[in-house]
Amino acid sequence: MSGQKAFSESAKSGKVLLAKCSKCGELHLGTVMFCAKCGSRKFDSQEVDARGTVATYTIITVPPDGFEKYAPYAWVVMALDGTDLRISGFMAGIASPDDLPVGVRIRVTGDDERGVIMERD
Amino acid sequence: METVCVLGAGSTRYGRLDESLVEMIANASADAIDDAGIVPGDIGAAYISNVFGIADKQVHLGPVIMSRLGIPEKPSLSIESACGSGSVSFREAYANVAAGFYDAVLVTGAEKVTHTTTAWTTTYFAYCSDFFYEGSAGASFPGLFASMARAYMTEYGATEEDFARVAVKNHENGLLNPKAHLRKKITVDDVLGSAVVASPLKLYDCCPFSDGASSAIVCNEKFAKEHGGKYVKVIGSGRGGSPSALQDRNHITTIDSTVSASKAAYKAAGITPKDVDFAEVHDCFTIAEVVNSEDLGFAKKGEGIGAAREGRTARNGDIPLNPSGGLKSKGHPIGATGVGQVVETYEQLTGAAGERGIKGAEIGLTHNFGATGASCAVHIFQSV
Ligand SMILES: CC(C)(COP(=O)(O)OP(=O)(O)OC[C@H]1O[C@@H](n2cnc3c(N)ncnc32)[C@H](O)[C@@H]1OP(=O)(O)O)[C@@H](O)C(=O)NCCC(=O)NCCS
Ligand SMILES: [Zn+2]
Repeated sequence: MSGQKAFSESAKSGKVLLAKCSKCGELHLGTVMFCAKCGSRKFDSQEVDARGTVATYTIITVPPDGFEKYAPYAWVVMALDGTDLRISGFMAGIASPDDLPVGVRIRVTGDDERGVIMERD
Repeated sequence: METVCVLGAGSTRYGRLDESLVEMIANASADAIDDAGIVPGDIGAAYISNVFGIADKQVHLGPVIMSRLGIPEKPSLSIESACGSGSVSFREAYANVAAGFYDAVLVTGAEKVTHTTTAWTTTYFAYCSDFFYEGSAGASFPGLFASMARAYMTEYGATEEDFARVAVKNHENGLLNPKAHLRKKITVDDVLGSAVVASPLKLYDCCPFSDGASSAIVCNEKFAKEHGGKYVKVIGSGRGGSPSALQDRNHITTIDSTVSASKAAYKAAGITPKDVDFAEVHDCFTIAEVVNSEDLGFAKKGEGIGAAREGRTARNGDIPLNPSGGLKSKGHPIGATGVGQVVETYEQLTGAAGERGIKGAEIGLTHNFGATGASCAVHIFQSV
């Protein structure tokens, strides 16, 4: 399975696919091919619970194709619990910044034609 | 290495243009050739930057333009690097002249998208993101920069009103630029009251979709002197890269590619940010100008918003940013913008900027990036 496909499969079950460098231990998202720290291409893959907090986000009112029926929606960057990593995704039903304070707890609940799906935790 | 110069420049108006993509490129190129006082045959090669040629049914633009200019035998290269295509093209022109491959080359950037719909352009521009992680989950370009804006507001306490001031300033500058797309004075209240595009960014925080083409003649100093026209020297050139997705940046409101590209350019020029008299920076959204002012070393991290608030970046401030009106008011034909900044800087440094001229300016900087700053090029110019 390609890195991207495997990553999406994990997201479907609420997980994030990570790749831990076998040489230096640096943690990456599962799509990496060479360690950004040491250049090694050997990784131990691991799936972790895709839970975390809102790092930042936007509420989109002028959407790209395929997203018209969902607007307004949020596009969110989540800080992944217990790591320095972040992942991004789609969140439905967010119309105003009051609906989603920065720092609030969220999690990944799936992956479909809207990409990685996130919800409040 | 050869000393590299800009000997001539030309540009179409930016905005909604009737000409085809090819006609715009040919017109701007011909203007630059005339301005330099040379003929097409003097050019050794051409670099043509463009992103969405498909929208006007023409890719592989290089040979088409060479044919229109009557020099079909000359080599050309068509370059795509999202919104940073123009400066990356300029860098290729610079590098090839510096290395001595050619005495003089043509660099022209162009875009034509206003005949498409808002949805088409929003969709295609999102292909410039790291699509697997960003565009595929509904991120638009305004949305990506809006996420940067919210992170900046959270970290440094900036307000939407602060960002609005950047737009007001750039619209004021653009009013003096006859080639600008949006020539309209606006107020902070106009910005705050404009429609939300991607919260917290509103219509007037965004650059428009623009058509336009800009062109420059890049040559070595011997060629510049022999051809007798006004020229400026390129005293520094730097490039950099950042993670393609925002999520992978060390700091969401620092664009590493700008930091590394500008460091390299300052080092090559032997100057510091304090020596720069004005800069044309990539203000695709108001937040971007603030972040750029920090990453280029004009303000400390978190203090760019204060610099904007205090008017330090206005035309009469201590570091004028975007005297042309910037992407915000002058417009942003994405493949042209990086070359357009060079045209503005050439005009500023040769006394051809008219009313919007920065008095006594001797050193100008151009900063242009692709997408959310995944790629970047910075150039520094000095009057002769
Ligand atoms: C904001 C945006 C969605 C507006 O879409 P659009 O297709 O230009 O909108 P319209 O053509 O319907 O414009 C409506 C009106 O607003 C004006 N307008 C459009 N964009 C504007 C802008 N950015 N600032 C001020 N006014 C603008 C138009 O001139 C038009 O006025 P008119 O009716 O008097 O002619 C679009 O310009 C946008 O996405 N901009 C960002 C572009 C971008 O991402 N570039 C890459 C950056 S790296
Ligand atoms: Zn490693």
